[in-house]
Amino acid sequence: MNVVETSGLAKRYRRTWALHDCNLAVPAGRIVALVGPNGAGKTTLLHCAVGLCTATNGSITVLGDLGAGSLEALERVAFVAQDAPLYRYLSVRSMVAVTRNLNSRFDQAQAEERLRGLEIPPDRKVGKLSGGQQAQLALTLALARGPDLLVLDEPLARLDPLARHDFMALVMAAVAASGFSVIFSSHVVSELERFADYLIVLANGRVQMVGDIDDLLTSHKVLSGPAEESDLVGEQFTVVQTRKAARHAELLVRTTGESQLPSGWESDDVSLEELVLAYLRDPSASMLPGPLAPDELEVSEAAR
Amino acid sequence: MTTVAVAPVSPRRREHPVPWKAMARVTWLQRRSTLIGLLVVFVACAVAIVVGQAGTHAAYASFVASGCVQNRFHTPCGNFENWFADNTDLFSAMVIALHVVPVVIGVFVGAPLLSRELESGTFRFTWTQGVGRSRSVVTTLVLLALFVTVATCVLGLVLNWFAHPFEVIGIESQWQSGLFDTTGPMLVAWTLFGLALGTFLGALIGRTVAAMALTAAIVGGFLVASFVWLVARLEAIGALATTRLMPMGLSIGQLNVPGAQFNGPVGSWLVRAWFTGQGGKRLSSAAASNVIGRMYGGPATGKVGPLHWLSVHHYIYWVSYQPASRFWIFQVIAAAILVVLAALLVFATVRLVRRRA
Repeated sequence: MNVVETSGLAKRYRRTWALHDCNLAVPAGRIVALVGPNGAGKTTLLHCAVGLCTATNGSITVLGDLGAGSLEALERVAFVAQDAPLYRYLSVRSMVAVTRNLNSRFDQAQAEERLRGLEIPPDRKVGKLSGGQQAQLALTLALARGPDLLVLDEPLARLDPLARHDFMALVMAAVAASGFSVIFSSHVVSELERFADYLIVLANGRVQMVGDIDDLLTSHKVLSGPAEESDLVGEQFTVVQTRKAARHAELLVRTTGESQLPSGWESDDVSLEELVLAYLRDPSASMLPGPLAPDELEVSEAAR
Repeated sequence: MTTVAVAPVSPRRREHPVPWKAMARVTWLQRRSTLIGLLVVFVACAVAIVVGQAGTHAAYASFVASGCVQNRFHTPCGNFENWFADNTDLFSAMVIALHVVPVVIGVFVGAPLLSRELESGTFRFTWTQGVGRSRSVVTTLVLLALFVTVATCVLGLVLNWFAHPFEVIGIESQWQSGLFDTTGPMLVAWTLFGLALGTFLGALIGRTVAAMALTAAIVGGFLVASFVWLVARLEAIGALATTRLMPMGLSIGQLNVPGAQFNGPVGSWLVRAWFTGQGGKRLSSAAASNVIGRMYGGPATGKVGPLHWLSVHHYIYWVSYQPASRFWIFQVIAAAILVVLAALLVFATVRLVRRRA
């Protein structure tokens, strides 16, 4: 089952296209990081997934074949919006009561226990909580709904490093306990590797890279060697990014297996941050699932 | 064997029953300060009316005990009428206060309902909960509408009760513009209209202060238009005409109270008056004023009486009127128009909310 599946999804706000021809199939049971620069369409994609926006073209389904935003989907998808908007004038206790009454399945005991653990006073007004506490409260309310899919829009943006850690620790603990899927958007690329196991990179409203993070990392290498041979080496691979100094060149390439490198060249693993930034710097580069290349097909046939 | 046909229950309805109780709790939690504030205002109005009625009670009881309802020409009746005419301040103040109720509900309950959610971004929380955005908006609106219906229904009935002595004596009437909109179903209908319009404008504009200001202007404008123009036009529709009334001028718009000197249909609302001359031709205002001057000012009328003087001179005095029995028909029709407008606004609001992205 795919937790989110889009087909030709496009969204236009007046004259601006926020998403173009977006095709995705996000498998269940993953923690998915949705990455991209500001204005890439991350929030629009997440809003479409939770029914807050309607597609201009194409379709989007969640948790199998449920229409995004349908009553069936809303009961099983929990969403924490950017800046965790909650009713600031309500007390934490009232906020819990409001959420309980807006959902048919809500584990109040779990919510109260988590809030006690987080030392969030139930009588305090939501507006009087710190930014970190507000985010934790919003997350606690979402988790108590017992979702099959948790969607988080820039959950870490407003948080200091300690609060970020606490927030994601809460998410990871809940995932470990309940096994639901998570999609979260972020532009904090450096911390993704610790939390996510699946990556979607959006740029200019298009899906630029998508896949299992381990697969993406093993299929990319950083090759370094003499600058004058970089073109020759580059012909053997799909080059994502080239960096040249006076005599030295570094190529970030996609590989499909072991290749012979000329002497003087070295191959290194790439970090996720390096990989994501390389793709974001070059909007024409893409890494999407699609028809297998001839050499990949041979490998695939041989494996059978 | 008897076969009983059972209507199939839609699976969607069975799986997702509308959570009325839960939404009532949410509405209370989210809006309790507004609702409590309004309740205090409503109770204060009701108490003021009860106190006012207590003040007029003794005078009205004496008016009834003196047989003035049947015959106004007893000596003390005029004194009672004068007393009531001199003691309308609180009554008029309450009529004005109740005119403000639809504006207050529209501005402080309707307009912020969705605009505040849109402005603060909390719609991203509420509209993604299991209840769903359309059901959340509709159930909240229905619950608030129930609250204002009950509250304004009570207020309208209490004002009706306060108005009764004034109505019987003929100093004020529920047919007249101010009271027509604040008694019976009309106060409820105006308030529902204010609530629906405020909510619609809030959803459309998405800015609380702007939605509140526009709601106040539009609902207030409609109420003023109704007071000045609409009610009089409405009450002229399908009016009957009679020539049995004693001539009393052209601009009437008053109640033909029982036992009064005007004859004609008792308890009816006199809408307009005019004269026709020879050949049934309608007289102009100037000509009619001239006739009135001659009729009451000339030496002949003292002997023959105005009606006879008119017939001798081939004039007929016409009065259009609405029988007393039609009052509630007019109330229900006018209220139904407002409620239908309110329902259309709610429909448009739900469409806006569904499309808002």
